Amino acid sequence: MKIDTREKASGINERETQLSRLYEEYYDKIARYVYVHVGNREESEDIAGEVFLKALKSLKSYRERGVPMQAWLFRIAHNLTVDHLRRMNKRKTAEIEEIDSLAVAGNDNPVDAAEKGIEFERVIEAMNQLTAEQREIINLRFFGELTSREVSSILGKSDGAVREMQRAAVERLRVIMGVEKQ
Amino acid sequence: MTEDFDRILDECIDRINRGQSPADCLSDYPAYSERLRPLLHSMYDVRRAYPFAPSADAKRAARQKLHAALGKRRQGASTSSFLKVISRPAVWATAAVVILAIVGTLVVRPLFSPQTLISDPEGNFAFVVSDEPNAIGDFETLNITISKVVLQTVGLAKSLEFTPEVKTVDLTLLQGKQSQEIWRGDVPAGQYSHISIEVSEVKGRLESTGQVVDVRLPSHKLQMPVSFEVTTDTLTSFTFDITVVKTGNNGKYNLRPQIAESGAGKDQMPAE
Repeated sequence: MKIDTREKASGINERETQLSRLYEEYYDKIARYVYVHVGNREESEDIAGEVFLKALKSLKSYRERGVPMQAWLFRIAHNLTVDHLRRMNKRKTAEIEEIDSLAVAGNDNPVDAAEKGIEFERVIEAMNQLTAEQREIINLRFFGELTSREVSSILGKSDGAVREMQRAAVERLRVIMGVEKQ
Repeated sequence: MTEDFDRILDECIDRINRGQSPADCLSDYPAYSERLRPLLHSMYDVRRAYPFAPSADAKRAARQKLHAALGKRRQGASTSSFLKVISRPAVWATAAVVILAIVGTLVVRPLFSPQTLISDPEGNFAFVVSDEPNAIGDFETLNITISKVVLQTVGLAKSLEFTPEVKTVDLTLLQGKQSQEIWRGDVPAGQYSHISIEVSEVKGRLESTGQVVDVRLPSHKLQMPVSFEVTTDTLTSFTFDITVVKTGNNGKYNLRPQIAESGAGKDQMPAE
């Protein structure tokens, strides 16, 4: 026995269901992606939540057309982050106090916590020496955990171009971090 | 050659994102390992040094906001489609009334298969799911997928069924007075004595450990022997309350219907 649902409504319903499902998998990844830019826990969490509300409002305008919904969510995250930074006129990277508090959170050993704080600071400093596009690729691939195909659909580049830029970015990170370590 | 290397590096990054170590990937590409190793270790170090993960509280709050917005949107959609119908010019309104009368006659007189129920945002019957808090506090999420809802008329003379429009609900978001409508449509007027739901999947994740836990539902069905009446001029909203209980100290959970918290309520249908 089948229920006669209206085609249009069912299309929207399917996308709503898809969005709910993606929430479970991508909320954390989006928050991590935003944090690299914003550097504040609460603000990153708020923006990540806002991404899904904004996506829900714009669901009617979403058409797959080669851009998977998760990549679309990261585009929204990027736009909201840019708006937020503009509004707040904030630094683009994590602040030192925030790094320290993150490193200390859940770590009872102060020496270990301090070392982790320094490590993270090094990563952020190294990331700052990349080009804006390289930084975005590393952020989306490492912290957003998107595939290079999804990244290419967000950046509007070919898969090959993204892979090439990714290699150049990782090589650069290795050099920067290797030099710093010495 | 470089293109091959880019592709291999890309695959290895995917694999590290999925939880593998650099060594797993290096062992598959020994010819590239000298060039690949330092890059993968850099990537691994960067990922490991990044300490930020959003809090469970923030995630839960954001989920609740999303679900509330989804509920509001669905309610809004049904209201706006009703307004669209009544705001048309008189000639169209007349035509709509005639069509509705014909459709209504066909539904009341079961010329179609009597078991077929039509989903309709302005229908006279809403099916709502809620959760009576028992062991639900143990869960971060408890998603149940409802594949079918079956209504039985008094004396089991007739059985009607429908597939929910929203199939998967998270019971952690439906505690106490919170509820979620998962289907609305036209149900023939009459007395009903029994309602059951068929559950195709239950997925629970524990709040304390984040582990997926076994939640049992023998026969994949929740049955509720509850009498209620459906009429054509009022909206009957049936709340099916589900609860999860812990069985002893073996870390297992069962799903059960909560009859005391379930039942039908009536609202006036909007005037046409």
